Amino acid sequence: MTAETIIQSLASGLLMGLLYGLIAVGLALIFGLMDVVNFAHGEFLMIAMYATFFLFAFFAIDPLLAAPLVAAALFVFGAAVYLLIVRFAVRAKANAGMVQIFSTFGLAIVMRGLAQYFFTPDYRSITHSWLGGKTISIGGIFLPVPQLFGALVAIAAFVALYFFINRTDFGRALEATREDAGAVALVGIDKNKVFALGWGLGAALVGLAGAIMAIFFYIYPDVGASFALIAYVTVALGGFGSVFGAFAGGLVVGLVEATTALILPPSLKSVGIYAVYLLVVFVRPRGLFGSM
Amino acid sequence: MDTAFAKRRRRDLIVAAIFAAIAAIVPLFVKDVYVQNIMVLTLMYAALSQSWNILSGYCGQISLGHALYFGLGAYTTALLFTKFGVLPWFGMLGGGLISAVIAMALGYPCFRLRGHYFVIATIVIAETALLLFQNWDWAGAALGIDIPVRGDSWLKFQFVRSKLPYFYFALALACVAWLVTWWLEDSKWGYWWRAVKDNPDAAESLGVVVFNSKMGAAAVSAFLTAIGGSFYAQFVSYIDPESVMGFQFSLLMALPAVLGGIGTLWGPVLGAVILIPLTELTRSFIGGSGRGVDLIVYGTLIVLISLARPEGLVGLFSPRRKEAPR
Amino acid sequence: MTISRRNVLLGATASAALLPVASRAQTSEVVIGVIYPLSGASAQIGVDAQKAFETAAELINKKFDFDLPLARGEGLPGLGGAKVRLVFADHQADPQKGRAEAERLITQEKVCAVIGSYQSAVAVTISQTCERYQTPFMSADNSSPSLHRRGLKFYFRASPHDEMYSKAMFDFFDAMKKKGTKIETLSLFHEDTIFGTDSGNAQTKLAAERGYKIVSDIKYRANSPSLSAEVQQIKAANADVLMPSSYTTDGILLVKTMGELGYKPPAIVAQDAGFSEKALYDAVGDKLEGVISRGTFSLDLAQKRPMVGKINDMFKEKSGKDFNDYSSRQFMALILMADAINRAKSTDGEKIRDALAATDIPGEQTIMPWKRVKYDETGQNNDADPVLLQYTGGKFVTIFPPQAAVAEATWPMK
Repeated sequence: MTAETIIQSLASGLLMGLLYGLIAVGLALIFGLMDVVNFAHGEFLMIAMYATFFLFAFFAIDPLLAAPLVAAALFVFGAAVYLLIVRFAVRAKANAGMVQIFSTFGLAIVMRGLAQYFFTPDYRSITHSWLGGKTISIGGIFLPVPQLFGALVAIAAFVALYFFINRTDFGRALEATREDAGAVALVGIDKNKVFALGWGLGAALVGLAGAIMAIFFYIYPDVGASFALIAYVTVALGGFGSVFGAFAGGLVVGLVEATTALILPPSLKSVGIYAVYLLVVFVRPRGLFGSM
Repeated sequence: MDTAFAKRRRRDLIVAAIFAAIAAIVPLFVKDVYVQNIMVLTLMYAALSQSWNILSGYCGQISLGHALYFGLGAYTTALLFTKFGVLPWFGMLGGGLISAVIAMALGYPCFRLRGHYFVIATIVIAETALLLFQNWDWAGAALGIDIPVRGDSWLKFQFVRSKLPYFYFALALACVAWLVTWWLEDSKWGYWWRAVKDNPDAAESLGVVVFNSKMGAAAVSAFLTAIGGSFYAQFVSYIDPESVMGFQFSLLMALPAVLGGIGTLWGPVLGAVILIPLTELTRSFIGGSGRGVDLIVYGTLIVLISLARPEGLVGLFSPRRKEAPR
Repeated sequence: MTISRRNVLLGATASAALLPVASRAQTSEVVIGVIYPLSGASAQIGVDAQKAFETAAELINKKFDFDLPLARGEGLPGLGGAKVRLVFADHQADPQKGRAEAERLITQEKVCAVIGSYQSAVAVTISQTCERYQTPFMSADNSSPSLHRRGLKFYFRASPHDEMYSKAMFDFFDAMKKKGTKIETLSLFHEDTIFGTDSGNAQTKLAAERGYKIVSDIKYRANSPSLSAEVQQIKAANADVLMPSSYTTDGILLVKTMGELGYKPPAIVAQDAGFSEKALYDAVGDKLEGVISRGTFSLDLAQKRPMVGKINDMFKEKSGKDFNDYSSRQFMALILMADAINRAKSTDGEKIRDALAATDIPGEQTIMPWKRVKYDETGQNNDADPVLLQYTGGKFVTIFPPQAAVAEATWPMK
């Protein structure tokens, strides 16, 4: 166990953690907005990756250029999911929480089935891209360029979100609607419009993550499942309703995962993340920065 | 005293007895092994979902990590039998007790978590257990445990071809789970839980008393779920961590209750009766193509049912009463 | 004797009553069940498997001029030309579902034999069920060594298992060492399900027996989102040979991560699985020039045995891919099972089982580089010789054992 191994593992863990944060922040936004668990979050990531792949395969568009397009497409998709499905789930008088979980869970299954039907279960990869396969070495520590770029995008996204939520009218409308959906109607804010846009924004963020991940990760109908649980734990660890919490949560998860892999057999590395989550919430039942 | 409430409770009991009696004679007419298999699975999931419902529906602590207890039950029975020759009937009790104790031990720190934090805690605890078993060589690790079946035996609770003994056991388990729920509805615990669900802050004033009842609910729920797991181990004769402790199992235990009506007496049963045959039949008859059509059908139905009837399908049968009276 | 109407009626009734029995002995079709994952994470394998089995069924049912059992006739001559009909079922990688499907195929679809199943865990329950119903089960592509050691009468496996594969790898190491190549230290990199665990165990045991030092033994969680920490550890260990036991998804991530972290081992000798899948080479093949994998099948056998190439073309037409280690074993499994049913001249489970036990087919009559097909008393074919293949210039080339090799191994990797 050399110093190089430790530093490299932590560096990789940090980059991965920022990426987890980017995947999670969309989830955190939707949670924070309307207390809804989107169990299809992993599948949103999956279609973002497929969209990026097809833009590459059919139009030779590099994932970096495709990213804004994919984000826009996911925005529309997220808003549509709210308007067509979640809106009715939230209206449920009884057991609203469970209905949201299971209606989005059913959606996740349908999305996987559709992906298998249309795209086949074949594994896809983007073989040539501007950033793909490139890695830079700083003092013997390797930093893969796609992940590095992803980390930078994640940071930028968090900063942008912070300003958006705290400094713009729409962002404040999001906050207000979360606080009291009934009251905002009196002020002329259409709750449904706000929620739909919130879902769209959350989905767009996942779209961004998916586009970047498509540069270096394999793509197939079930790819979302590997990331979904980590995303949920990340958001919960950081605290529901807190965008900054998702960011911090991502960092913690990435670093803990890397550290645990150094101490325990790597097949148990997730246990470290879970243990940290439990420790945090036992001490702070609302997560690190949670407000709900 | 013959209140409407007491009348309803008597009626529930009579209806349950009738259903159980009908269910008991069905296998005498339906001989097809595949259909019998579906019936056994349906009863098993009805029992599991009903057990889950006690903690998550009535008591309001939504768990998506119940596969932990299912797996513990399955592994306890399988390990005691294959390593020490302990008969599954004792192994079942052992598994149930271990699960009940663990449920209480986990409940102690976890019950103070609210809402989604609690749910995620249950998920990660179950996942941790899965990972531990996957890496535990003595318990078979990834290779799992193969329970040798050497002939029909009630003592060893294994049968070569006949599904009937399994059917009746699963029916009995489902009845027990139902009866426990029925009994709890009119008990002190039941009243506290309803009070707490309607008004979470009332829980503060009821304090320790409510906390203890939650521990009780967790223990009962875990015990019954573990028995279900032990049953499964004997039924399939092979278990591995993924098949008995996986997250998808936790979801499958909750799904019938959610679709049928969470926190209701009949919800889990109704949900299981609809969902399980649906799952099996779509996989068997549409799944063979490899195009994923069975998933699309299954998923769409879940979405539609959960949206169209959020309070659960029991609502269809008695629009007037949805939950026990306050 | 006058033929009264009453007699005719009696006679007709009698024939009608006898007809089912008669037709069973003279069935126009033989139904065989095939259980694979057709949805979920390994759906691709199942879908490819369907094409492999369909290719084999076509060969059996129509006339082809190949020196392969049942190719030359139409259908099964021992059963009056009965054609093979396949019934596919999806087990979704769940042992319980595999069992349910096996039961359904046996009791409802009336299959006389079952073939499966890719995941060894599901093979456990399917084979148990087949045993209970006295229906033969052929393990086409399950490689767990424990499967044939459970005392099952109706279990058969024509292809090698992980201990045989690993032994071939170490025989290869010994041979290379004799020629002066430095092979002293090994890194094991295996996933945590049955496949990886069995493989890791077999390799650890052989390394100890043959005097190789394992400097790194990394067990990782299958389908991990990231393998950076794991790869960093094998990089630090810097063994002479990296030995991965990974499925396609992890294989792709492994190779990409190795590239990201700047790790290039002198040699990679893989336990097949992902490393025999086209999808992996489409994704990261450019980094894998010279990778070696154990296998059952090698396409370059077509040079010595032309029918291999022609049958591969038939499969390629259906699937768009060449035969790989899995599809070739699946293909052979059906041929061998049908051959046994043919020799049994019956669809009765016990008779087919006895015919299987009596199988003795020379390797030249298969598409595999095997010595022969002959099952021992546990149902395992010990003459199924594994080969080692090296990925060179976009193709797999057999480099070991010498009698099957078409080229020398390139060592180290480029």
